[in-house]
Amino acid sequence: MTDGCAVRLEGVTKRFSGHTAVDHLDLEIPRGSIYGLLGPNGSGKTTTIRMIMGILLPDEGRVTLLGSDPAQTRRQKVGYLPEERGVYKKMRVLELLVFLAEIRGVPRKVGRGRAGDWLDRLELDGWADRRLEDLSKGMQQKVQFISTVLHEPELLVLDEPFSGLDPINQEVLEAIVLEFRRSGMTVLFSTHLMDQAERLCERVCLISRARRVLDGELKEIKQRERTGVVAVSFEGPADWLAGPEVMRQEAGPGAVHLVLHEGADPKGILRRGVASGAAIHRFEVVEPRLHEIFLRHAGAGTTRVPPTVSR
Amino acid sequence: MRSVWAVIRREYLQRVRSRWFVFATVGVPLLLVVATAVPVLLASRSEAADRTIVVLDRSGDVGPWVASALEKGGYVVELASVGDEERVRRRVESGEVGGYLVVDRESLVAGHAKLVVIESPSAFRQLGIRQAVIQAALEFQLAGTGTDVAQVLAGGALEIERIAGSGGGMNDPAYAAAYAGSFVLYMVILLYAVAVMRSVLEEKTNRIVEVILSSLDPWQLMLGKILGVGAVGLTQLAVWVVAGGAMVALGLPALLAARPGLGELAAITGGLPGPSFFAYFLVFFLGGYFIFAALYAAVGAMCNSEGEAQQAQFPVMILILAPVIALVGVIESPNSTLSVVLSLIPFFSPFLMFARAVGGAAPFWQVALSIVLMVLTLLGVAWVAGRIYRVGILMTGKRPTVAELLRWLHQA
Repeated sequence: MTDGCAVRLEGVTKRFSGHTAVDHLDLEIPRGSIYGLLGPNGSGKTTTIRMIMGILLPDEGRVTLLGSDPAQTRRQKVGYLPEERGVYKKMRVLELLVFLAEIRGVPRKVGRGRAGDWLDRLELDGWADRRLEDLSKGMQQKVQFISTVLHEPELLVLDEPFSGLDPINQEVLEAIVLEFRRSGMTVLFSTHLMDQAERLCERVCLISRARRVLDGELKEIKQRERTGVVAVSFEGPADWLAGPEVMRQEAGPGAVHLVLHEGADPKGILRRGVASGAAIHRFEVVEPRLHEIFLRHAGAGTTRVPPTVSR
Repeated sequence: MRSVWAVIRREYLQRVRSRWFVFATVGVPLLLVVATAVPVLLASRSEAADRTIVVLDRSGDVGPWVASALEKGGYVVELASVGDEERVRRRVESGEVGGYLVVDRESLVAGHAKLVVIESPSAFRQLGIRQAVIQAALEFQLAGTGTDVAQVLAGGALEIERIAGSGGGMNDPAYAAAYAGSFVLYMVILLYAVAVMRSVLEEKTNRIVEVILSSLDPWQLMLGKILGVGAVGLTQLAVWVVAGGAMVALGLPALLAARPGLGELAAITGGLPGPSFFAYFLVFFLGGYFIFAALYAAVGAMCNSEGEAQQAQFPVMILILAPVIALVGVIESPNSTLSVVLSLIPFFSPFLMFARAVGGAAPFWQVALSIVLMVLTLLGVAWVAGRIYRVGILMTGKRPTVAELLRWLHQA
């Protein structure tokens, strides 16, 4: 069971002088999946990730990473891009990459080769011998991303990897993440960009106010979170739209939205439509966007969070 | 271990390659040499005419004595009588000779003489001429008594014979070597321990420490850092020692050959430290550096900015300053109970025991004991500093209080 999980958190709790950053969090990240850790600012994402990385020790609960390997080997199988990203400003790009790979056990020669390939791929090949301080923030971020994968980790932990990147580079990074996924790597990343999470993640966990509020496969969550709205566009008679299932009709742009009674089955409506002879172009049970789910579960909550005061 | 090695390597190369290091290691000694050598060379360097002095003897008997003393100092000397003064004056005006020196009976009793020149000579040459006059006067007065005037003028000599026992005082050159050596130790240890603190602080403030600590343990990072910076310190010291050695072994003879007038310089070779000095220096440098570097690493780990670190390093600063303040007293009475006790305190040993050992005042058992105590202290300091480092390195926010520090020691 443990083997199927890249990361497992059991009842993990972390308190900082008087306020609870993470509250009895359970989490299971299956191997080989792309897992999104979502939540509003200050919800405990970064603290959770730091505990996963062993940088912070949980006050309660247990973190299991890639089974039960000893710490040193485990570290060498994990790539980590923290939220607050720093570099040695005076070092040269290639030097820094080789160094960061070496402290994870990659021989210098191997590290240099891989770093060169990655710099080419991310269009930084002309910058290998420049100092980090000469690079723009976005370029530094790409260098940092490269540094997380040079030791070919099994698990990649990325804390807000896309923030600060332009759309082109975001897309490059997304493509790389998807490619890793195909090669069997587990990717855990946190974000508050819901579009990104929707595109990339198979599983998400939504945390708000230090607690988990949603967790599971994105598809299932979306089905579960369906609001009972059917979008219909058609030509012909419209009398079939009304029925016992339908609470009300709303005319949207290019489509009519039928808001159904709770638990009502939309099949009957479609049957009536076909029978009425109307030309139906679209009949779709609308799935909520992750963005809406996020707002529904976290948005209302955040406003009620009292300001955290540290004593 | 590859990880620790990588940290050492990075720390070493980044520093050794920096412009600052090259300047401090090569530039500073070079500047010192140039700053001391150039005036000496300039002062002693002169045209043949400049080095020619006419001695105008009004007394009628002291002239030849002065002339001979001046010749020993490298001058070309002509003797002239009082009647020639007008002619000699014109020769000085035309630049044919450097100047003329008027000596009379006053020179014999007070070492007083008058030098007539176009431009006032350098202080260095004035001193040489003055000494020649004094020496001539004394040799004249003491002629036939067998007095070695040159030896007396050089300051005589005090030979010290110690009756075997537990150490004694310090003789003259050892005193100087002990003092200078301790002071250099203080500067180098402080310089590099503070460099460790800065390095810790830099990683903390620019946040790279989070990436690094996801790859290695805090103690590995601290160890690698201290070893790397220490290696830079040793490199710098080695360059200085080799450069200094080369200067004395090659530069000095060459200089003396070129300028025999600088004969006094040869005397400094007698006061130079020997191999035991360097052995003690190395041992006490390593001991002191590791102890203070670990302390400074802990200070760096618990602060968030240079400004905060300035304040937080105060207690450590006292530990390293106290022995330097006590140094003069210890050297003056190296075997008083107070000196022995102070020099055995592990934080002070690198400076005080070093001074006593180099001066030949400390018996061997005390030196050995201080080394053992330093090693034990080092282990303790590393344990404490490692824990403070472990917790502090990721802390942001306000600097911890002493009570919080104690909690960290339990927690880590």
